[in-house]
Amino acid sequence: MRITTVRILVQILIFGLFVSFCVLTTYSFVDERHGQTWVSKFLEIDPLVAISTGLATGTIYKGLAWSAVLIIPTLLLGRIFCNWICPYGILHQFIGWVFNTRNAKERFDSNRYDGIYALKYCILIAMLVAVLGQFSLALLLVGAALAVVAVPLGWVIARSVRHPATRRTCLVGVVVLSVSATIAGARSVTKGDWNGTLQIGLLDPICLLHRSVTAAVLPALNMPLVVQEGVPGVAGGVGDYKQHIGATLIGGLLLFLVGMNLFIPRFFCRVLCPLGACLGVLSRFALWRIERDPNKCTDCDLCLHACEGASDPHTQLRKSECFVCFNCIEDCPHDALSFRFLPPKRHEIAAPDLRLRNGVFAAVIGFLFYPFARASGKSSKDFSAGNLVRPPGSCEEWEFLERCIKCDQCIRVCPTNVLQPYPFDLENLEALWTPVMNFRMGFCQLHCTACGEVCPTGAIQRIGVEQKLGLGAYADTGPVVLGTAHYDLGRCLPWSMKKPCVVCEEVCPTSPKAIYSERMQFVERDGKTLVRSATDRTVTVGGLPKPGELSPEPIVFRANQFRGDGTTTYHVEIVHKNGVTETHEIRRNDADTIEIDGTFDQMPQAGEFAVIKYEWKVPKIDTEYCIGCGICEHECPVVGDRRAVYVTAEGESRSSKEPNRDRNRGLSLMKTADASGGGGSRRGALVSLSAMVVSPARPVRARANGGGDDCGCGTPCGSVGARHNGCSGHEVDLRKFLA
Amino acid sequence: MTRRDHPNEVPAAGVSRREALARLGGTLAAVGGSAWAIRHFYDPRGDAGLPTYEGARLRNYFASVFDNFAPSDPRISVARGRATGDEVSPEMIRKMLHTALGPMGGIERFVQRGDVVLIKPNVAFDRGPRMGATTNPDVLGEVVRLCKGAGARRVLVADNPIEKAEPCFAKSKIREAAERSGAEVILPAATTFAPVAIRPGEPDPTRNEALGTWEVFYRPLQLADKVIGLPPIKDHNLCFASMSIKNWYGLLCGRRNQFHQAIHDIVSDLGMMISPTLVLVDGTRVLMKNGPTGGRLEDVTIGGVDGRPCIVASVDPLASDAWCLRHLLGRDPGLLRYLELAEQKIAARIESWRSRSGNEATPNQIDGKRFAMRDWSAYERQGLIRESSVV
Repeated sequence: MRITTVRILVQILIFGLFVSFCVLTTYSFVDERHGQTWVSKFLEIDPLVAISTGLATGTIYKGLAWSAVLIIPTLLLGRIFCNWICPYGILHQFIGWVFNTRNAKERFDSNRYDGIYALKYCILIAMLVAVLGQFSLALLLVGAALAVVAVPLGWVIARSVRHPATRRTCLVGVVVLSVSATIAGARSVTKGDWNGTLQIGLLDPICLLHRSVTAAVLPALNMPLVVQEGVPGVAGGVGDYKQHIGATLIGGLLLFLVGMNLFIPRFFCRVLCPLGACLGVLSRFALWRIERDPNKCTDCDLCLHACEGASDPHTQLRKSECFVCFNCIEDCPHDALSFRFLPPKRHEIAAPDLRLRNGVFAAVIGFLFYPFARASGKSSKDFSAGNLVRPPGSCEEWEFLERCIKCDQCIRVCPTNVLQPYPFDLENLEALWTPVMNFRMGFCQLHCTACGEVCPTGAIQRIGVEQKLGLGAYADTGPVVLGTAHYDLGRCLPWSMKKPCVVCEEVCPTSPKAIYSERMQFVERDGKTLVRSATDRTVTVGGLPKPGELSPEPIVFRANQFRGDGTTTYHVEIVHKNGVTETHEIRRNDADTIEIDGTFDQMPQAGEFAVIKYEWKVPKIDTEYCIGCGICEHECPVVGDRRAVYVTAEGESRSSKEPNRDRNRGLSLMKTADASGGGGSRRGALVSLSAMVVSPARPVRARANGGGDDCGCGTPCGSVGARHNGCSGHEVDLRKFLA
Repeated sequence: MTRRDHPNEVPAAGVSRREALARLGGTLAAVGGSAWAIRHFYDPRGDAGLPTYEGARLRNYFASVFDNFAPSDPRISVARGRATGDEVSPEMIRKMLHTALGPMGGIERFVQRGDVVLIKPNVAFDRGPRMGATTNPDVLGEVVRLCKGAGARRVLVADNPIEKAEPCFAKSKIREAAERSGAEVILPAATTFAPVAIRPGEPDPTRNEALGTWEVFYRPLQLADKVIGLPPIKDHNLCFASMSIKNWYGLLCGRRNQFHQAIHDIVSDLGMMISPTLVLVDGTRVLMKNGPTGGRLEDVTIGGVDGRPCIVASVDPLASDAWCLRHLLGRDPGLLRYLELAEQKIAARIESWRSRSGNEATPNQIDGKRFAMRDWSAYERQGLIRESSVV
């Protein structure tokens, strides 16, 4: 069998595997077979992912050690990944083959090397420098400081030492010393916190392809109703196809990059691919490569007919560009080309065609991208404005941004569609396509941790359900809090629109519920009336007189308008002239007379106020228990431009681990010590959420008190928790104000 | 054509007759086709391309039983069992089911050989079975086996939970119980939904109506010959209690959460909408407070206020709900507005059937073939409630 036939068979197999892994990576699959996330294998062998997250975090996370599987053959054989394994490359090659309309001469020309193909090395450099972030800044500053000493020293040595060998040794010593001093100095200045920004996912072919498949291709395939009914696997179970914010852009980018093959064959692979660039650098050490025998070659250029990498096999081979597709060997009519072990060096161009100045310029871009991105403030001071609620188990935002490769596997497995790629946002480009929660589209399923399970880089940590819910061994740390729900009382139906609701309370999954309801009375519209006459259990009323008038206006109620139904009850409050008030439930009414349940304590007199009130449940939130799952927001029936209850990152537990950072949301909401008790007395010191996470139940300020429900100051002040005059020893229970 | 063979020869002016006819015919055909297309697709009002929402009608799944239901046959049959520790064993559940169905004539009275039976448990939440927020999977499994034993061709289990369906069915162990006992689970999906005309025309809120035509989880109802409601008994934060009628909420689709603004209207509409073959109440783990979601074991009491687990078999959902509210949750059924409204609505339907029954048969006729009385004590006086104990 010909080697290219073998290659095509391998390509078909690999592409089929990739697609089926994408399809299989659904919630049900991950849930049933924990830890088996096969599509991750493609990301895990991707050395660019391992190298860049390794640079960012100083660690190789779990499966990323598999990248050795790819690095080693690349060091031996060259970029075989690009034309044998990479599913995105396979897609480009296939599309280029199907839609090829070039004649022979145009094909030769389109496969000659072009200077633009060096762009990918610049992209790689920029991305890797951006990953170094603060470290590269520190390198620059410390290096500049050291240069002030090292350059004059070198100059003095060059002038004063006469013996050439000694002079060279001295100069090399100065250079080595200052470089190591720069690195050591930069390390100590940054205290090991090399916070950078990881952007390789934008263009890494595996991330790019998986993201496109997740956000655009599979939803499109799942859109037909017949598929939604449950072709196994395809739809991710059954139900509606998933929808993703910005799918047009993600899918459009896929179409654009694939379509570019019509203009430049393998456009993405040759021009943009940072993984290809990374492998190109590695492949300069390859021991095998394509070798042309100049004695047999007739310079017919037929080897260019199908050269995938544009690596110039007709002359000196550009080793870093060759995809090892073997097409040139197949196409050569004179057997002048062969794949040889240790061919002569002078027949190849081993290094990438990267000019030093271009590389430096790329490095400057990457170098500046990090401070520019951070200076926008979206991951620090202005964090919550973008409504950035991250999936459960996510690292603190800065750590997250140096780990997330935007592959969007988490979005693929999310069972409720709550995870969305962060859209193209000019104010926060750094976060583009990283997963955020959108509670209008879904909610965080209580017993699900699938997103962390599939995350290949640990941006979302692998937490189990116990840790997520703060059960068992995690009872002390408490649950993972994504954010906190808030009410917009002006939009909430029972609060202000005179409709009973409390769907939010019903769906709140924590126990005890974070959203609870309280029966509250509200004055009925035109419910302030004047008593005209009364018996011991009925009162006849009239409307309030207009200013200047004395007698009550006639009033007409609907019969039994104020009869309760179990959900709503109606009450009448009589405000007696002596200042005493009494409230009674209404049993029935006719046009102007109200009959109460029971009897009046004090007979209402004509001219006294009778205020008709309705009473029902209104929702309230107990921030002690809210985990920010967002099901309240999702189920809220007020579905206009904003829900009546909504979740923000307030109180998220991931940021409480970094209380010094600007965007820490943990301290803004204080939690009291009885958070885990429930039903206990309100005494006890205030404990900030961050303190609870770091060391459970550590009091921020100790407080001696033996009181019960009152504030405990020893005087019968009757104040529950709140500070009052003449009593200085009490904490302020913020929940009083929140409620 | 032959002229082309001699390129030097100047072609004569004009075309051949054949070519002229062909070209003329082609153009005329295009003109005619366009005219026909415009005529065919012409829509002067602009609404012909809009979708129409014709609702399907639900069958009365009780009608076939109603015809030979003697006046003296029990409407409610209760079997009380015994808990072992804080569990109710599957054997006990099996015995309770047999004891409850015994006075009603056994499951064979309701399920015949070859029937497709739909069982509607409550799987509304992603909660474990011990939390009482969902139907006890052991009860479901036993009911499926009973139906299979009576010769049912297919047993379907369906619900449209509030949370994501798959995790809910998994966590509540309903899926496992259903599939192990030989039932098929139908999960909600767009293709299984269809608009159903619950009442003709638009609902009138002033008459406490909530549903006109609404999207319903229709596929299982369409497939089924018999429908068995299998609700747990739960406290409910808004409508007081969630029992057999409220359990049909899980058949609604779309933005059903808006109905919480008129909860008694919607629940009573549900009671009117569907007439199940049989209601089997799962009185094993009763959620006494913090319903309908629960989440704490303290909220659950075995057998409710009675303290003994029970199964209630009933052919009158209203009476069964009232009985369960009184005996399991220990509350006054008189306070439950939706039962009162449901009774009125069903009565109005039966009345409209009676007034028309003199005329020729209409599909509406079977609407009247159902029992709907919330006054369970009246049944008790007539001896239509049987209570028995499993030893």
